[in-house]
Amino acid sequence: MSSTEYASAVAAVKAMESSLLTHSDIEQLINAGSASDFSALISSKAGEEQTLAQIWDMLSEFAPGCRELEILLYRNDFHNFKAALKALLSNRDASQYYIEPTNLDLSILTEVISSKSYDDLPEYMRDTAAEAYELLTETLDGQLSDTLIDAAALRAMQNAAEKTGSSFMVRYAQLTTVCADIKTAYRCSLMGKSRSFLETAVCGSSELDKESLVRAAQSGTDALFTFLDSTAYGDLGTLLKESPAQFEKRCDDMIMEHAESARLQAFGFEPLAAYFIAKEAEIKNIRILTVCREYGADRETITERMRKLYV
Amino acid sequence: MNSLGLALAIIGAACAALFAGIGSAKGVGLVGEAAAGVVSVDPNKFSKVLILQLLPGTQGLYGLLTAILLLTRIGVIGGSAQALTTAQGLMYLGACLPIAIVGLFSGIAQGKAAAAGVGIVAKKPDHSGKGIIMAAMVETYAILALLISILLIYNIQIG
Repeated sequence: MSSTEYASAVAAVKAMESSLLTHSDIEQLINAGSASDFSALISSKAGEEQTLAQIWDMLSEFAPGCRELEILLYRNDFHNFKAALKALLSNRDASQYYIEPTNLDLSILTEVISSKSYDDLPEYMRDTAAEAYELLTETLDGQLSDTLIDAAALRAMQNAAEKTGSSFMVRYAQLTTVCADIKTAYRCSLMGKSRSFLETAVCGSSELDKESLVRAAQSGTDALFTFLDSTAYGDLGTLLKESPAQFEKRCDDMIMEHAESARLQAFGFEPLAAYFIAKEAEIKNIRILTVCREYGADRETITERMRKLYV
Repeated sequence: MNSLGLALAIIGAACAALFAGIGSAKGVGLVGEAAAGVVSVDPNKFSKVLILQLLPGTQGLYGLLTAILLLTRIGVIGGSAQALTTAQGLMYLGACLPIAIVGLFSGIAQGKAAAAGVGIVAKKPDHSGKGIIMAAMVETYAILALLISILLIYNIQIG
């Protein structure tokens, strides 16, 4: 890869970064009086509302065919597959369950699954698609097939990141997997799930060994937290114990801290990926703010839940 | 007249214009890419990014200047080409190498620095001067190379 790749895209993204919400913008939004003040502030600060799909379209135009960026959407792709599969088996319209942006062609997804023509799916989904379909039709256990697909998404992310050789994407995939695995292991532990279920649900990574995590989760939540304390992710265990909301926030913040490492780069796809992650966090922050205000949450609670900002 | 000596000197002049020109073309092209990215989002920043884009263009001019000076010195420009020994031809070729090589690499390096400077214009337009200064630092080495090439060209004794 040329060291000066995506010079134009990075410069454009840097120009757009100046319109991301800042800490003072968030403060103003939290302190906004009435709902109309809040809406007016949102439109003046965040400008014309852009969906993530629109941001993605723009980034794809800047960096067409960028394999590294596609990895950011793998979880959406697998979610959409999950939605299409369930909709097909329950005779529902899947389109309302799809999320965008995605690397998949959603217009043919249901057809691909019903005709089992998995070759029309991206390579990283084919095996999982066949396996999940079989599992769901044989066992009718939606939860089991969901966990299989979720773990496969994480594995696909890690494999694709390794294949691109990008340390930025490898770390992104690792962090995403670590957060998802801890959450899954904790939930399974609380629900007393079997070892085989845990083995399907937990993906594992070089950061958190699958076997150790499964064993710890099977021995109960205390054993899980003790195991996490012995790793670099002990703080995540502590947060999960105290407040799942704070755990979720810390996971998002870890990804954002990683994205920040690309902020100073003048070339390469990394600043583009970081901008996408920043936009994701911004949209999430606005959503949290809106919901918290609707439910009359106090200022402190809202501040506590705000995700780390890129700028 | 030793035609090999003259040929070597002309190759030197060609190298000066060629390699320094390639360096500038690459540098200006790279900054142009970055500049277009910023202008696509905010067209008002055109004048600021244009200055950055011009910076890596100087190496090509230095190469051109060196080539013209050498061709004038040996009489190719003016129609009275001088007789040069092979040693003299080699010396002129050597005299052109500093600006040819440094021009090539500094043009590319300055392009990278200026393209990164475009990022400053994009995010903090009030600090664009800093981006220009940082990119301009690379120029020093192109100027030093030009100076040596000119000194050599004028101090090689002919005839």
